[in-house]
Amino acid sequence: MIQTLWDGFVQGALYAVVALGYTMVYGILMLINFAHGEVMMLGAYAGVVTLAGLAGSGAMASLGLPLCLCGAVLASMGVAACYGFVVERVAYRPLRGAGSLSPLISAIGVSIVLQNFVMLTQGNAPIYVPGADKAWQDALTGGWTAGPLSVQPTDALIVAVCVLLMAGLWLFVQKTRIGTAMRATSQDRVMARLVGIDVDRVISATFVIGSALAAVAGVLTSLLTMQAKFDMGFLLGMKAFVAAVLGGIGNIPGAMLGGLLLGLVEAAGIYGLRADYKDVYAFGLLLVVLIARPRGLLGERVAEKV
Amino acid sequence: MTAPLLELRSVSASYGPIRALKDVTLRVGRGEIVALIGANGAGKTSALMTISQIVRASAGDVLFDGRSILGMPPDRVTAAGICHVPEGRRIFARLTVEENLRMGAFLVRDAAVVAARMEAAFAVFPRLRERRMQTGGTLSGGEQQMLAIARALMLEPKLLLLDEPSLGLAPLIVRQIFDVVADLRRRGVTVLLVEQNARMALRLADRAYVLETGEIRREGPGAELLDDPAIREAYLGG
Ligand SMILES: Nc1ncnc2c1ncn2[C@@H]1O[C@H](COP(=O)(O)OP(=O)(O)OP(=O)(O)O)[C@@H](O)[C@H]1O
Ligand SMILES: [Mg+2]
Repeated sequence: MIQTLWDGFVQGALYAVVALGYTMVYGILMLINFAHGEVMMLGAYAGVVTLAGLAGSGAMASLGLPLCLCGAVLASMGVAACYGFVVERVAYRPLRGAGSLSPLISAIGVSIVLQNFVMLTQGNAPIYVPGADKAWQDALTGGWTAGPLSVQPTDALIVAVCVLLMAGLWLFVQKTRIGTAMRATSQDRVMARLVGIDVDRVISATFVIGSALAAVAGVLTSLLTMQAKFDMGFLLGMKAFVAAVLGGIGNIPGAMLGGLLLGLVEAAGIYGLRADYKDVYAFGLLLVVLIARPRGLLGERVAEKV
Repeated sequence: MTAPLLELRSVSASYGPIRALKDVTLRVGRGEIVALIGANGAGKTSALMTISQIVRASAGDVLFDGRSILGMPPDRVTAAGICHVPEGRRIFARLTVEENLRMGAFLVRDAAVVAARMEAAFAVFPRLRERRMQTGGTLSGGEQQMLAIARALMLEPKLLLLDEPSLGLAPLIVRQIFDVVADLRRRGVTVLLVEQNARMALRLADRAYVLETGEIRREGPGAELLDDPAIREAYLGG
């Protein structure tokens, strides 16, 4: 039982980090960025390809695994951030002010394009994390056991990184000038411009940050399954979106809470009921929460104009 | 003769088929307080919005400091020195009072300058200091108006656009707000003031324009319009 909940927590932390990207974009643009899951998948590919390259060239043996992982994560963040930036410029910015349906269709289009791009260039078979490498074997033999709970090094890494990312984003949004400008923009875009905020740059920054976060989650997900596949972004992206809606879309702590809750409920369902109904629990939870609280757990009423 | 700080030359603007401004020409000189009065729907808010470039003029030109700002992004207009306190105040409801002020000074990079200006704002509006950690949405209407003005002053603008600062406020607070505006004149800030409260606006203003269904109908010194029978009849309740 405790083991299952821990596994759910690990998965939930990943959902939460991806959900942040959905929620930040929605908070500012009222747009559901359906391509976000694919950006996560791209990040995973960039990370795994980097790792494979490092292992294949023998660099992993000399540099050590931790350094190589950092390199892979940075590479994937860079690639995904560029994609996020370009996608916003190409697919969403020209449609700003064109109602809410067109950007949504554009988002679905982008997600199909990204998926097919990866499938055509990387093949439709999964690519694998170089787990046979000696550095991996050494790292994976570790782990800690406490009573009924055994913690794998990968799991510990995932939780640590996700918690750090969430704390970092929270501090950024609450304490920095740009973070505060993001919150201001999401509350009143016209007023944000009137105080001198370049709203287009805030929007770009939101896409870049959200995409970089998703990329980290993508690499970590690949470490969990030791592979990346062109269609991994769909279901994971969907789950993260559910997490964002659960918590109250547009609300940053809500996305974190929603992600963790979703992971835990899935795990509890697997443990107590049937494992192959995992996705049913996720979407069932969404239904129940939305019936009780249509704006999500932490969603507030949109502040009325005074 | 030096160029006026702000000049609208035959500006027209519309929302789809609705014409909001027709051939509006007005000038605001350096250091002046100019009032823009008119009935509901006359186009006062639209006039300020075309100055800030939130609404695009369909014809004419808007000059600030002698240069056209037509089509400039609104944030660049603000950077050029025009701060706009919009109708309805538009406080960032979920930011604290202090964060609202910080956003007013978004374009100021020097933290020491921001801190000094915040102190100055609290000196003018002590009420805001007491509520600095409260979120904007929880302030009273009067406090929100104070915050809206203080937020705009954080940038030390050359020109302040004020859209109905007295709307929905008790007479005592209205006095206080008008005193602050009168004080701005002494500090050399130029003000374009839109008001429903025509009597107070005309008393305070050096000059005034009367807007009627999108067109300028009268202009003149505040005192002169205040004495004009037709203006008294239409805007001052006889
Ligand atoms: N966003 C908009 N879309 C369509 N029409 C608008 C819009 N904003 C204003 N209008 C119209 O433009 C005209 C001028 O409106 P504006 O708000 O400028 O008037 P106002 O003088 O500020 O009025 P009030 O004193 O009530 O604030 C009105 O007929 C109004 O209905
Ligand atoms: Mg108005």
